[in-house]
Amino acid sequence: MEAPVTDDRLLHQRIAGGEEAALGELYDRFAPLVFGLSARITRDRSAAEDITQEVFISFWERPLAFDPGRGTLRAWLATIAHRRAVDHVRAQERRKASVLGPRLVEPEPERLEDAVLSRQEADGVRLAVGKLPDDLREVIELAYYRGRTYRQVAEELGLPEGTAKSRIRTGLRRLADALTEEGA
Amino acid sequence: MNDDPTHRLYLDALEEALAETAAGDAPPQAPLRPLTLTAARARRRPAASVSGWTAPFAGRIAAMDALLGEAGEDDWGRETVEGWTLQELLAHLAAKDGLVALSAGAPVLGPPVIADEALARTAELQEYERRRVPEQTRRDWRAQADALCRHLAPLPPETPMTVSGFTMPVADHLLARMLETWIHTADAAGAAGVRLPDPVPGHIEPTADLCVRLMPLTMLMRGHAVAEGRAVRLVLTGHGGGSWHVPLHPGGRAVREGGPAGAAATGRDTRGGGPADATVTCDVIEFCFLVGGRGEPARFAAGVEGDAGLARDLLHAAPALSGP
Repeated sequence: MEAPVTDDRLLHQRIAGGEEAALGELYDRFAPLVFGLSARITRDRSAAEDITQEVFISFWERPLAFDPGRGTLRAWLATIAHRRAVDHVRAQERRKASVLGPRLVEPEPERLEDAVLSRQEADGVRLAVGKLPDDLREVIELAYYRGRTYRQVAEELGLPEGTAKSRIRTGLRRLADALTEEGA
Repeated sequence: MNDDPTHRLYLDALEEALAETAAGDAPPQAPLRPLTLTAARARRRPAASVSGWTAPFAGRIAAMDALLGEAGEDDWGRETVEGWTLQELLAHLAAKDGLVALSAGAPVLGPPVIADEALARTAELQEYERRRVPEQTRRDWRAQADALCRHLAPLPPETPMTVSGFTMPVADHLLARMLETWIHTADAAGAAGVRLPDPVPGHIEPTADLCVRLMPLTMLMRGHAVAEGRAVRLVLTGHGGGSWHVPLHPGGRAVREGGPAGAAATGRDTRGGGPADATVTCDVIEFCFLVGGRGEPARFAAGVEGDAGLARDLLHAAPALSGP
């Protein structure tokens, strides 16, 4: 027997086939995620609601931009929401800056709605990793760039497993702060 | 994207951010949901129907329209299939939908129909559309398909209808339109390098059923004089698949077996019509595309048990009804 059609895949198929109820289901499942992330980054509920609307509308309008073979719906929506929220924060900063003086930052060209990280976004992540304290950077690099399990991380560094695990989480939390508070 | 460590790290960090905020943040305001759905509908029209026998066709129209929404100027002029540009391909689909509309007494868009024949009408409509911008072609193609859906939906699906001299139940004519729209959308997606999601299993199943039921006719068209009593068991695997007992003599009626694909283990059919001479097992989508003229019968991936010659004849004859 074949594997069941995954929820993500079926929901995507229904939306590509123009079934509006499927967009409602997508919204019900992921609106808290999209809104929560946007609100955290923009610190502005009304802006976060606009972003939430835009993220779901653009998924409906351009369903083929998503490829379930390359990642989950959750990851796709989180990536797009983060990107739009960061764009919003930057636009606000530019607006403030232009009141004070000549424009220092050129507006960026509109991005393709693509869940692959842009080079700039990837650089932002790597820069944030570089700024971590040594002990946190070490565990993040081992876990993400050298493919170690947290057990292997613990062994390699001679740490108790619980300590390795909590360092990875602390590292992720610091990165989360960097990604959401400095406009990435 | 999940293979990229930086992206995985990025997503895990976002999840961490959410874990921290979720508790403190109120969800978005309730009115945002209907506002979002209303705005979405205005940006991309939903399928003309999502239930009933017209839904598989309506779903493929909506999917093609989504693909067209991705098309830039380069894509419209790019060759897709049959030497046609995307605009000409769309005119071809509109032409054939229009001929079904003509038979059904539904509105027919574009210049008056002079020749009630697929290729002649295609040429007529392509000539007409070449003088217009692609967006106009797209709008009329969609309007034609939606009007056809609305017109047909109230009819009983078994209502006999003759389109360009070929008589079948109206539901089968529309499933044939579903198959052609699906295949040409795949052609266009391939030309543009876009991955096309499959139809939902509930839309694949009736389309595959039509393809299976056409087998006695395709055998006849390819000159195989099959004696009464000769039959194959077709096992179509994958979502939307199933098993059929298919008598192959002229006028033979295929019967779908109860239960999901692969449930019964032998070539002996459980409901209608005795043993099968061969069992052919293949992927349901590949089989639909074979019937629609895509793929090489000689290289078609199928498991065969029993009469290999009969199975080969079946697969080679399968595309007999496919045109451009």
